Amino acid sequence: MEAKEQKRHQRKQSGPKAERKKSRKQRAPGAEPDEDERRRNPRAFAVQSAVRMAKTFHRAQDLKTKKHHIPLVDRTPLEPPPVVVVVVGPPRVGKSTIIRCLIKNFTRQKLGDICGPVTIVSGKKRRLTFIECGNDINTMIDLAKVADLVLMLIDASFGFEMETFEFLNILQVHGFPRIMGVLTHLDSFKNNKTLRKTKKRLKHRFWTEVYQGAKLFYLSGMVHGEYQAQEVKNLGRFISVMKFRPLVWQTSHPYVVADRMEDLTDPETLRVDPKCDRTVSLYGYLRGTYLKNKGQVHIPGVGDFAVADVSFLPDPCPLPEEQKKRALNQKERLLYAPMAGVGGVVYDKDAVYIDLVSSHVDQPQAEMRPTAELVQSLIGTHATLDAKLAASKVSLFSGAAAMTPGEAENLGEQQAPLENRVWDPVTQRERRKAVFSDDEEEGDGDESYEGDEEGQSEQGEQLSEEEEEEHEYSGEEEEEECSDEEGLQGGDEEEKSSGARESKVGEARRGQDEEEKAPRVKRQRLERVEAKPPVEMPAFADSEDDLEMSGDDGEQSEEDEREGAEGGTADSGHCSEEEVDDDDEDEAEDDNEEKQDGKEEEDDEEDDDYDDDEDSDMETEVTAPVNISKPVKAKVSVLSEEAEEDDGDAGELGNESTGALRWKEGLAQKASEAFLRQQQAAPNLRKLVYGSVIEEQNSPSDEDADEIGGLFRVSRPEKSRSRRVDAMDCSRFVPDSPHDWDQEEVLNSIRDCFVTGKWEESKDAATLLKEDEELYGDFEDLETGEVHHGKPAKEEDSAEESGEEEEEVMVKEDAEEEQKKKRLEKKRRLKERFDSEYDDGDATYFDDLKEEMQKQAELNRAEFENIDDEARVQYEGFRPGMYIRMEIPGLPCEFVNNFDPHYPIILGGLGASEGNVGYLQMRLKKHRWHQRILKTRDPLILSLGWRRFQSIPLYHIEDHNGRHRLLKYTPQHMHCGATIWGPITPQGTGFLAVQSVSGTQAGFRIAATGVILDLDKSVTIVKKLKLIGYPYKIFKNTAFIKGMFNTMLEVAKFEGASVRTVSGIRGQIKKALRTPSGAYRATFEDRILMSDIVLLRSWCPVSVPQLYNPVTSLLQPVGQKDSWSGMRTLGQLKRDLGLRNKPNQDSLYKPVVRTKRHFNPLHIPKQLQKALPFKSKPKQDQKKGKTPRHLQRPAVIREPHERKVAALLTALSTVHNYKTKKAKAEQHAKHKEFLKQKEREEMEKLKRQKEARKKMYRIMGQKEKKRERSSLKGSSKDD
Amino acid sequence: MASQGLTYEGCNFFRQRLVLSTLSGKWVKIKNIRSKDDSPGLQDFEASFIRLMDKITNGTRIEINQTGTVLYYQPGLLFGGQVEHECNPQRSIGYYLEALLMLAPFMKKPLRAVLRGVTNDQKDPSVDTLKVTSIPLMKSFGIDGEGLELKIMKRGMPPGGGGEVLFTCPVRRTIRPVQLTDPGKIKRIRGTAYSVRVSPQIANRIVDSARSILNKFIPDIYIYTDHMKGGNAGKSPGFGLALVAESTNGMFLSAELASNPQGQGSPMLPEDLGCNCAKLLLEEVYRGGCVDSTNQSLALLYMTLGQQDVSKLLLGPLSPYTREFLRHIRDFFQIMFKIEVQKQEDESRRGGDKVLMTCMGAGYANISKTLK
Repeated sequence: MEAKEQKRHQRKQSGPKAERKKSRKQRAPGAEPDEDERRRNPRAFAVQSAVRMAKTFHRAQDLKTKKHHIPLVDRTPLEPPPVVVVVVGPPRVGKSTIIRCLIKNFTRQKLGDICGPVTIVSGKKRRLTFIECGNDINTMIDLAKVADLVLMLIDASFGFEMETFEFLNILQVHGFPRIMGVLTHLDSFKNNKTLRKTKKRLKHRFWTEVYQGAKLFYLSGMVHGEYQAQEVKNLGRFISVMKFRPLVWQTSHPYVVADRMEDLTDPETLRVDPKCDRTVSLYGYLRGTYLKNKGQVHIPGVGDFAVADVSFLPDPCPLPEEQKKRALNQKERLLYAPMAGVGGVVYDKDAVYIDLVSSHVDQPQAEMRPTAELVQSLIGTHATLDAKLAASKVSLFSGAAAMTPGEAENLGEQQAPLENRVWDPVTQRERRKAVFSDDEEEGDGDESYEGDEEGQSEQGEQLSEEEEEEHEYSGEEEEEECSDEEGLQGGDEEEKSSGARESKVGEARRGQDEEEKAPRVKRQRLERVEAKPPVEMPAFADSEDDLEMSGDDGEQSEEDEREGAEGGTADSGHCSEEEVDDDDEDEAEDDNEEKQDGKEEEDDEEDDDYDDDEDSDMETEVTAPVNISKPVKAKVSVLSEEAEEDDGDAGELGNESTGALRWKEGLAQKASEAFLRQQQAAPNLRKLVYGSVIEEQNSPSDEDADEIGGLFRVSRPEKSRSRRVDAMDCSRFVPDSPHDWDQEEVLNSIRDCFVTGKWEESKDAATLLKEDEELYGDFEDLETGEVHHGKPAKEEDSAEESGEEEEEVMVKEDAEEEQKKKRLEKKRRLKERFDSEYDDGDATYFDDLKEEMQKQAELNRAEFENIDDEARVQYEGFRPGMYIRMEIPGLPCEFVNNFDPHYPIILGGLGASEGNVGYLQMRLKKHRWHQRILKTRDPLILSLGWRRFQSIPLYHIEDHNGRHRLLKYTPQHMHCGATIWGPITPQGTGFLAVQSVSGTQAGFRIAATGVILDLDKSVTIVKKLKLIGYPYKIFKNTAFIKGMFNTMLEVAKFEGASVRTVSGIRGQIKKALRTPSGAYRATFEDRILMSDIVLLRSWCPVSVPQLYNPVTSLLQPVGQKDSWSGMRTLGQLKRDLGLRNKPNQDSLYKPVVRTKRHFNPLHIPKQLQKALPFKSKPKQDQKKGKTPRHLQRPAVIREPHERKVAALLTALSTVHNYKTKKAKAEQHAKHKEFLKQKEREEMEKLKRQKEARKKMYRIMGQKEKKRERSSLKGSSKDD
Repeated sequence: MASQGLTYEGCNFFRQRLVLSTLSGKWVKIKNIRSKDDSPGLQDFEASFIRLMDKITNGTRIEINQTGTVLYYQPGLLFGGQVEHECNPQRSIGYYLEALLMLAPFMKKPLRAVLRGVTNDQKDPSVDTLKVTSIPLMKSFGIDGEGLELKIMKRGMPPGGGGEVLFTCPVRRTIRPVQLTDPGKIKRIRGTAYSVRVSPQIANRIVDSARSILNKFIPDIYIYTDHMKGGNAGKSPGFGLALVAESTNGMFLSAELASNPQGQGSPMLPEDLGCNCAKLLLEEVYRGGCVDSTNQSLALLYMTLGQQDVSKLLLGPLSPYTREFLRHIRDFFQIMFKIEVQKQEDESRRGGDKVLMTCMGAGYANISKTLK
């Protein structure tokens, strides 16, 4: 049934109404009518009520200020990391399909299995990382913490599922990232109307959960197993223009969503003990905030780990460089997903992994992939001859690699387990690692073999070989750069890795070969490095380092000599980069050789020399404060002295003698010398404070080197060090060589530090005055008409010009320029002053604050902008947006063995003291959708900060006096406090609790949500304890109570405590009694009874169980990752073990048997009775029993006459009664008859009417029939 | 869960280590404390310091071995509140107070500490100096308001002590970044010449001699004489001078000198003391910077514990104590400072070279403070 269409409203075209409207419309624009109205009707606009006006104003202001947020310093990085797009939804809703479609939309590539995060370049300024979230609640929790945007897929044909709401709740707790709903399976609706209705219903439900107007996207149907291209495109557009909100937790913690994992464990130890702890390197974009090296990270699902090393790698998926172009070209549409086996070339610190596409037979469109292009571009790089030479050696070497294919395989597996899993072996896709070391070469050999097997053309093979060379070279470069710039890891890392590789191969001969080759290459590099201009060199490109270079020149010869003698070792204080490198290389070599051949003494000597030197260096530097106190030292600031010590290593004696001489020389000379020294000193200040980074790295080897031949130790005077180490801890900085403040020159040296001294040009009072003159000098006195002129500003200038007429035109022009500049400057200053005067009135506190923040943000950006990354990383940590590699030792072997790329690996950085455990007090509320209330001491799994862990909460509520009283259960619909033993997390952090993370249970899984309130090392929860005692002797208001305590001491502790009897009489404990131990004397406000029980209400503290059990879901075997179960609740335990609680018999409820109460009669004293009013007097009358004989009334005996009269009367009345009865019955019968009669009449009447009606209808019917017949006849005639 | 920690050797920089450990939550182990000394192990004043740390924290675990040469310190949470501490007279209250200044803004409850002991001695920065330099410094980091106060109730000189100091400090959740790059010019010099249990005339003699030197630079000098009597004068006699120079930009440079303790060393002439102290102040002015040498580490610590913003600070030459402090900051917070030397031109008469320290704050937030 369709509703009748309403008639549309017809607008009046003419008539008075239309005209009125027309005129109003014409008047509308412009302010005149308002004015007019104001004039016409001033009352309507007058202030009616001051109070109301104030209220309106107040409200307006309130609304205005409500819009303000506390301004925060903008800390977003210039090149932000890819946006994390998490795709969530119940299974079979189309998550993978939508990711695939979006990837295809952005990059024109097809990705088969979505495995781990997929990073793509989506636009000129944006990259996206897609992560698919499985249905496991662990995954949901983890991904909710890192998501920037959530695509929430909803199966429209089914409606919302519990998972969707659970996920929404998780998001709410951990900050609320942007959410976009996507309705899928819309094609299953046959009826258009139901489709529309469903859409609307789902939309409104979604809005109530998220916010009114939240974006909900509809994907209508599938074409060839994909969503419609246009719709996906639109979705992509939405994603790529979306703005994201900064979330508190995310912006205050660094985190990495790992997109690559490599196991670095030594294969030998692996072979010996397959279950040994693993060293793993994880890769990913750094997000959130700055990450400091060597911090602590939490990997949700695994645990807390200390990071051994962090380094940054070149961006594998960089943003396009030129920003001018309108759209991205195909080359720039990169895709990076190493876990899914895509990514082309992946760089590591000491290796380059290349996915060679040419060997890929199955994929015809492989040429189109950007990865291939990347490889091609790498081929295109120009290689130097020596590099090629080096590489060619490697390829020569690869011929022998086939000897241990098993080993190589083993290695490959261990290095890249994901790829093995992801790619079908049928596709024959290998992963080649091109590294400048033996194991890589082995891999190369293998691969070339395989290439042969595949029967590729020679050319192709050659190409691939060439490629390899190229990559090896580039890899080498990479490595070089790393070691060059880092300095920190450089030498040590190389050493380690080369050592490790050696052991991997396990073949002595090969190892030797390698030994012979590797250093040569390194030397080549060294030369090259040294040839570079010094400007490029400094790793820590402070301005001082350049100075250092120049400062060093003077001493170059001396240093050269030393270098010559020591064979390239240099002192730490001065080591410029070349030298550092040099040292490293040498060291590395040495160490390698040592490992190879055992301990060789010649080498050791060299080492020793070097180390000694370094050590002594360190010491001199370190002992500086002690040495300074020698009076021989020249008069300079300590700064310079340190420097002196730094450069003057060994020749301290000589220095001293010269110092003694200098002491007596003229002050000016001294000053100049000091200046010189300071110049030398300046660059070393950083090293002086932080030490040379290499020094630290080498320190363990130093100690090794102390031993000569493994027998004797070099004994050095320990005194200086120990003195320093145990010196007095004092912050005062007493000048060791004070200036002679009696001399005028010395006094003059600080003259300008005082207000009485000379000021800077810009701040000098004279200049300021002059400026004022310039600004305000010219004015016209309007009263008198007199015109005052300020001094011509450029008087001096002009004078100068006139004086120097012989100067050229150029100079004049310059002067003009200068004038112009000055004019501009003047204008600017004027404007500034004006602004400051006139804007200040308007500027609110909020504006000021905002401006301050803005300034700070600019400063933050600018401060370290020009420093190169290696140094910058040391100052501010790793920037968000960098692609970093984190090396984490000590990971459990299950992490690697049970690795499943479908589960996200998140490295969440921990702030200061967030790695510790303590008591947390939180505010908690049972989730209203969770079906049962929660019980104290039942283990609960909490998601807090980065962590998921099981803990035992105690619920409590705060009483009015601030006492935290223990609760047995959480309240139904109310907040309560909870205290757990868990990881220290900043206050204000939200958390959620679930009872179990394994499998799927019925109902809503999120049990509770809340927020951290307080961290404390001690708990203050108490529970009530009632102590019971019995009186054994009662005086007036005093009673002796026993049975409450056991000793006098206990009583003494409770003296003065208040007690109460069951009947409510209050009292106080007074003093312990001697005889029954534990008894005491108490006074009450009234006399108590012997039958009373005395109660003492007290509070005893409850200790929180110290259970902190991280959920290690990532360590579960593949396929069972969602089956982690921790500690069971008591109820579960009992159920599982089939135990039933045996209750205390006394606690059982029994039918209450009440004895009949017997009340004694109330006895009222006679005196009282007398005094009482009659009403209240006890009535003495007894119950009526048998009337005693004397009270019985005598029977009446009638006379005969009287008897007759009575009999007659009785008879008469009987007759009368009978008569009336009869009459009544008669009347009744008559009435009945009458009613019957009446009914009958009625019936008849009805009957008649019916008859008549019938008759009428019949006639009517006949008439109708007749008419019908006649009409039929008519029609039949027509036919 | 294994929390991180650090191991050190020797008793030097003892306070730095404990303070930074407490702030960063990392445990610290100090080995070989005076292991080769005649009296090995921790000394009384260090033990007293540990006790003070225990008082202001909650849940701290301290383990000391039999000889006292090894200390293990696992920090708890900073608690604050009312604290009374009897400081060992081997070191002055300044020794303890320096650590309290570093920790006080990060407590759970505002600190109100009463410290008893030696107020002025020759080793440590005196309470007078800290009062006039550290407190304004803290204010520039946003730690200000009602509660910030350092009050000298009684004076006590070594060896007897008997002084009393009240230090109160409000609690902050975060510390503001600072840009202190321009020290300005010194506009006035103030000071306190104190004398206890000696002739009150001595203070005046000190003032005169100090003025005679400082008057060459600036006329705005006022040195208060502070003579305490009776119960407020502590147990031992002594006198001294604390000078402070205030610049136009509100920076403070200080110098101080105290007389030799009774029975140690030769008695000092008040005139000499005044002269020397004035010269020390000039020396401090020569070094320059926005913060004087005793407060360098305090300022650097606050910079480190600031929000994740860039802070800048101009200092004079770094003292050895500060240098070690920087190393410790790197150990505990992984924060390195950018150190740039600012050269002075030859003709500019503004003292020695300055050092510009720049760092990015650690984004530290006070986790002890209760959320209501």
